[in-house]
Amino acid sequence: MTEQTDSLVVELAHKLVETLGLDTTADLVDPAAPLIGAGLGIDSIDTLELVVMIEKDYGVKIDTRAAGVEAFASLIALAAYIRQRRSAPSP
Amino acid sequence: MIPRPRVFVTGMGVICAGAGSVAELRRLLREPKRSFQLPTVFPTAGESAGLPVAQVSGFDVAPPDALPRTHRLALQAAREALGVGPAPDAIVLGTTTGGILTTEFALQAGCTAPGAYRFHGLHTVAEHLAVSLGVRGPVVTVSTACSSAAVAMSVATALLRSGLARRVLAGAADCICRLTFHGFRQLQLVAPQGSAPLDIQRAGMTVGEGAGFLLLESAPNQRAIVAEVLGTGMSCDAYHATSPHPEGTGAGLAMRRALQDAGVDPSVIDYVNLHGTGTVDNDAAEARAMRQVFGSSLPALSSTKGLTGHALAAAGAIEAVICGIAISDGLLPANTGLQAVDEKLELHPVRDPTRARVGRVLSSSFGFGGNNACLVLGEAPTAPAAIEVGTSHPPAARLPPLRVAGAACLTASGDLAETWKALLAGQSVAGFVPEAAFSKAAPTAFIRRLRRLPRLMLALAQTASRASGRTSPPDLLAAGTAWGPLAETQDFLRKLFETGDQFSSPMDFIGSVHNAPAGQVALLLGAQAPNWTFSSGDRSFEQTLLCVSLAMTSGAPSALVMAAEAHEARLSPLFDPAAATGPLASDGGAALVLVADDGAPGARVRWLGENGNGDGSVQGAAVALCAHLAAQAPLDCYDAVGVSVPAAIGADADAELLRLTEMLPSCPLLTYRDRLGQHASVSATATALAARAVVEGVLPFGPDGISLRHRRLLLLLLGAHATAVEVFA
Repeated sequence: MTEQTDSLVVELAHKLVETLGLDTTADLVDPAAPLIGAGLGIDSIDTLELVVMIEKDYGVKIDTRAAGVEAFASLIALAAYIRQRRSAPSP
Repeated sequence: MIPRPRVFVTGMGVICAGAGSVAELRRLLREPKRSFQLPTVFPTAGESAGLPVAQVSGFDVAPPDALPRTHRLALQAAREALGVGPAPDAIVLGTTTGGILTTEFALQAGCTAPGAYRFHGLHTVAEHLAVSLGVRGPVVTVSTACSSAAVAMSVATALLRSGLARRVLAGAADCICRLTFHGFRQLQLVAPQGSAPLDIQRAGMTVGEGAGFLLLESAPNQRAIVAEVLGTGMSCDAYHATSPHPEGTGAGLAMRRALQDAGVDPSVIDYVNLHGTGTVDNDAAEARAMRQVFGSSLPALSSTKGLTGHALAAAGAIEAVICGIAISDGLLPANTGLQAVDEKLELHPVRDPTRARVGRVLSSSFGFGGNNACLVLGEAPTAPAAIEVGTSHPPAARLPPLRVAGAACLTASGDLAETWKALLAGQSVAGFVPEAAFSKAAPTAFIRRLRRLPRLMLALAQTASRASGRTSPPDLLAAGTAWGPLAETQDFLRKLFETGDQFSSPMDFIGSVHNAPAGQVALLLGAQAPNWTFSSGDRSFEQTLLCVSLAMTSGAPSALVMAAEAHEARLSPLFDPAAATGPLASDGGAALVLVADDGAPGARVRWLGENGNGDGSVQGAAVALCAHLAAQAPLDCYDAVGVSVPAAIGADADAELLRLTEMLPSCPLLTYRDRLGQHASVSATATALAARAVVEGVLPFGPDGISLRHRRLLLLLLGAHATAVEVFA
């Protein structure tokens, strides 16, 4: 894992906790654990909130169910999803 | 047993995308052609700029100081429904938007001018109608999201069946606005190409607007009858804030309750107008519910939202008019927008407008909070003798008292016990409820996304339920709130404006609807009972009590009734400036668990009446109401009269109070907002305190309190429509 991915994962963990008002702290979120349906108690409304936050803050869309499954597999997966789309040439 | 009065539809009015009258809608249904377009009444940016809406055309030119769009839509359809007849006895109107479209522009411009937000409140739509049409009886505003219209029809039907009214204008109105357009868009529920209900490719709804009204009468002129309201049914999923129960359990329950109320078997239904929004989840859940209720022999069915769009609160009203046309014209409306039906739904919608005899129809409306409401309409009776001939006006029926099985309130002093203690000590309990008093309302995971109003309501509901000792959920859950969840509304619009009309929070949108708090209470209590929210300004609590009393008259054994307001630093002073500024500015509210009067000891609460001058003026409304009450029973049976004087009334209250003092010489008049504070739901708090006072035989005003010989209190609310409630033991 590069320095850059680490910082993005950490940044996302902070935004996750802050945006959703989770009853935990960013350092306690397991970067490899599934975001949905696991211990964080994140549901479909939370994922929509995250979809908007990611598009607003990173300019990256998650607009299909398949994309959601890929992006929300874990914080690491989400960081990878964002980096991949951000580095793609803009349309 | 006396047969209950029948309820007939004697007038209809409508405005929606593609039709500005019933005649135009009739033509549109025969030759369906949808007219979705890009919104022109508010700016769009980025992705949202390409999304179509179902906008009413030729209706968007308005000077800046004009009435808000929802009010104008409502007035046009209401006038059409009423025709040239006399004023109705009552209005029951559903809306979720009120004056928000106008408010959005004012907030974005940073406008703080007094009066700029005077038509913001949901209640102002119905109140404007009442003044325009000269209505003097109850003016009720229902806000249960997209089921509002069907709930409004149900309340109107109950008013007529009770004998409290003989002629009621019932309907709903909503306009497109940024809050709902972007809210549904961010929930990914808006179809980029326009909605296609039941289609394999369906991708969401098309946000629409409009208004629809039915004039309902219990003793009409035979020639005027268009159709009959046979029954209504409601339920709550108590499953999720926005998503329907995947099996359609709650939807099926509402359909069965409506059929049961109508006294008909599913097999006699000729046509079902589906809720059918065109979202993946709604249509799937509704299809399951349809099969649960109708089995394999489904009647003709269609969703008309591919034609009209989804007009939110107004949808069920527009669709009730469509059902009226289906019955009177013998027409099965088409499922417009459908290309290839989703076979998995196992539904066979009407493809093209079809001539057929339509004797009985079911119309379904489902909303956020898992709020479901259904109507059963039937053709006009052929035998004139079947109808009761109307005689007395105004109607003189009375509602029965209800026993208070549990009570809770929240004030700046804390809960009911703390509030009582402070008042006995001669202190004021005005101010804002401290967070510690309601922060433990529910488990942290349950309330983490919830803001002040839902948390207040959860705490009130939980405390009143525990105080009642009842372990099963209530048979009816009803909440009142004048201003709704303001923190959520403010944050949604702030974020939207900050990003140039591009991004906001789906969570704030879900939380911003007026019925979201009552939906959360249903989730917490597991209450699948009908779930109502009323937003009638300062009368929100009184109207909640009225509607609950009507439902309990026809058999609901218990109800949880509550009303609350949550102060929001920016919006409260703009929307309700007189009450939300100054030393008496307050929030909080109360909850009561009510049961049918079973003779057990304890307090009783009874809705006595609502009276307006019919012109929006305050002077004389309460005096006339008291004169009406005095004609039924002497007023000297009351130990004291608690009078709620909303700050906005100002000097008009003085003359009214003076005349009330003259009418009630032996009875102290207590203007209780001086002690309890100024907020729109404070009469709920007063009622909870009165329920304790009549049991203890003392009113907690002053050092030793006021001794209550008769244990009977009258609670009056001053306003353009004055109300009266009595509490006794």
